[in-house]
Amino acid sequence: MGIKTVKRHGDTLRDKLYIPAIVSGMKTTMRHFVTNIKDNSNLITKSYPEVQPTDITDRYRGVHRLTKREDDSISCVACYMCATACPADCMFIEATERTDGVDEKMPAVFNIDLLECVFCGYCVEACPCDAIRMDTGIFSFVADQRKDFILSKEALLANTRSKDFSDD
Amino acid sequence: MSNIVNIVIDGKEVEAEKGAVLIDYLFKQDIDIPHFCYHPALGTDGNCRMCMVEIEGSKRPQISCDTPVKEGMVVRTQGENIEQVRRDILELELINHPVDCPTCDQAGECKLQDYYMAGGFYESRLEAESKVKAKKAVDLGKNVMLDQERCVLCTRCTRFTDEITHTNELGIFSRADHSVISTFPGQELESDYSMNIVDLCPVGALTSKDFRFNQRVWFLESFEAICSGCSKGCSIHVDHKKEKYKDDQIFRFRPREDHDVNGYFICDDGRLSYKDENDNRLNDASINQETVSTKEALTNIADVLTANPNDTLLLVSPFLSNEELALIKEYTLNNGTTLSGYSPQYYDESFADDMLRTSDRSPNRAGMMALRINENEKDFNELLSQKKVIVVIENSYFEDKAELFKDKKVILFSSKDTKVKEFANTVLPVASFLEKDGSYTNSESVTQHIKSGIRKNAPVGTLTSLWKAIESLSKEKA
Ligand code: SF4
Ligand code: SF4
Ligand code: SF4
Ligand code: SF4
Ligand code: FES
Repeated sequence: MGIKTVKRHGDTLRDKLYIPAIVSGMKTTMRHFVTNIKDNSNLITKSYPEVQPTDITDRYRGVHRLTKREDDSISCVACYMCATACPADCMFIEATERTDGVDEKMPAVFNIDLLECVFCGYCVEACPCDAIRMDTGIFSFVADQRKDFILSKEALLANTRSKDFSDD
Repeated sequence: MSNIVNIVIDGKEVEAEKGAVLIDYLFKQDIDIPHFCYHPALGTDGNCRMCMVEIEGSKRPQISCDTPVKEGMVVRTQGENIEQVRRDILELELINHPVDCPTCDQAGECKLQDYYMAGGFYESRLEAESKVKAKKAVDLGKNVMLDQERCVLCTRCTRFTDEITHTNELGIFSRADHSVISTFPGQELESDYSMNIVDLCPVGALTSKDFRFNQRVWFLESFEAICSGCSKGCSIHVDHKKEKYKDDQIFRFRPREDHDVNGYFICDDGRLSYKDENDNRLNDASINQETVSTKEALTNIADVLTANPNDTLLLVSPFLSNEELALIKEYTLNNGTTLSGYSPQYYDESFADDMLRTSDRSPNRAGMMALRINENEKDFNELLSQKKVIVVIENSYFEDKAELFKDKKVILFSSKDTKVKEFANTVLPVASFLEKDGSYTNSESVTQHIKSGIRKNAPVGTLTSLWKAIESLSKEKA
């Protein structure tokens, strides 16, 4: 394989002095400062968490959920497609026999470790059964112990589609 | 006189044996001809029509599993024509197939999937609702699960029970679209080789109940080994996996084609013996029932051995590899201890049959004999009464005979958690049969080598490494 040499930026004397860059940066900062002091009604920064975002779109990838069939039973058939696609290797599934006559197989354990998850959405893309989605709109997930970041099958089933999103 | 003829395959001139089955010859050339019903162990049946090739001079494509090699034959296995034929046959096979790959254990090693991915890609022309339904998840007994909908009716399974085991449990019932594989009413599979039909079945119609839903096959890693279930030493694939945050674990054994030993199959007992490797393992070294570090146990053993070499009996077993046996034999020759390989407990006449299974349920007695390790009963009993120190190495003889240890100092090397542990003064865990490398000689004097692929989180030492450590500790003392 050939190697392509890319010329580095920042080699000129002007760049190496840093001062011109700092001055131009400060200029932008001061301009915003003055504008916002004069009129703070349309600040872009929000006082989160008192002010919650209102601009989360339907395509936003939030915390996962496991979907249900029309008869309210779990859709997932424990095929491991999601776990196979997952680049973070953070889905822990154990399959078992399904005996309610709806299907043959289902997960006994379905854990997602949110601390390892990179929220890429590959699991949603990979699922052949539309059994996993990231449409809960949950963008913030807080806990004070590592183990509480591991979402179980029950927790994932309890999550629902965000009310703010349009119907499917 | 000459049996060699010249033929042309995909434009290449090659030599082949006259009269050989064309498909066999193509396999040997590493040309993968799609096929369902042909299997070298079961011969030609010609029912699936998947193995078509074009042969110059014949009007229509021919099935390569029923075509003998002839002088001057010109064969084409590729090209738009033949690939279209294959696609059409595959479409027929899939007409009533449920395509439930997500719940099917065969997914990842299924011929329907493979051939579809290699050349299918047609749009389905049948409504899912109009597919013919049949029974799913039928337990046929002997750890075999049947899904009639997934079957492609290749008859490999029925031919296996007819021609190989002669137990005739399986047959095809009903006609046309409604044909299904089943056992005769009220009957179950009974052969001790039944699980081979799981490997034979090219699709997910027959799957293993034991492996059911345990793993998806594409996660598994594999290495080649032999079965330790009896002195036949059948060649196997060991499928194992070290899952994230878990330890390396074996999920199944599969037979490995080996014409010097087992041919294509293995027995069910041997196949399920992978559980012995996972279960009931000895993990901690101990001295007088108190857990100690491996180092402490080694020092203790070295002390005992150097103090009483002439009063020590080493009892090895036919579960050890040739290399391990040779190492211990050499130690005995150099240090004046005595050595026995007495192990009658592994003989079980009821296990032997006229296919593969033998009456000696240990893998390396022939290797032990070749090293001239004495397994005579009288000699052993005499030594046992004389010697004060008994070193038991992977030998289960004392399992129910702990009373023989009265007034003796006992050192136990074991990979299994055994009762003998309670009567032993020093206990040292060792790597199990598949966790170490080594060679083994079967009852027909075939020597096979295992190179283990298992990587445990906290591996216990192999007998070889531990024994060498003991030897060097003893030397330091001397
Ligand atoms: S979002 Fe990405 S990283 Fe997270 S569980 Fe799904 S596939 Fe894995
Ligand atoms: S969520 Fe979907 S992809 Fe993952 S195991 Fe369940 S059915 Fe398969
Ligand atoms: S069950 Fe499997 S092996 Fe038997 S006929 Fe059907 S596809 Fe062939
Ligand atoms: S015949 Fe013996 S060696 Fe072969 S699979 Fe059975 S137990 Fe193992
Ligand atoms: S493999 Fe030749 S017809 Fe089935």
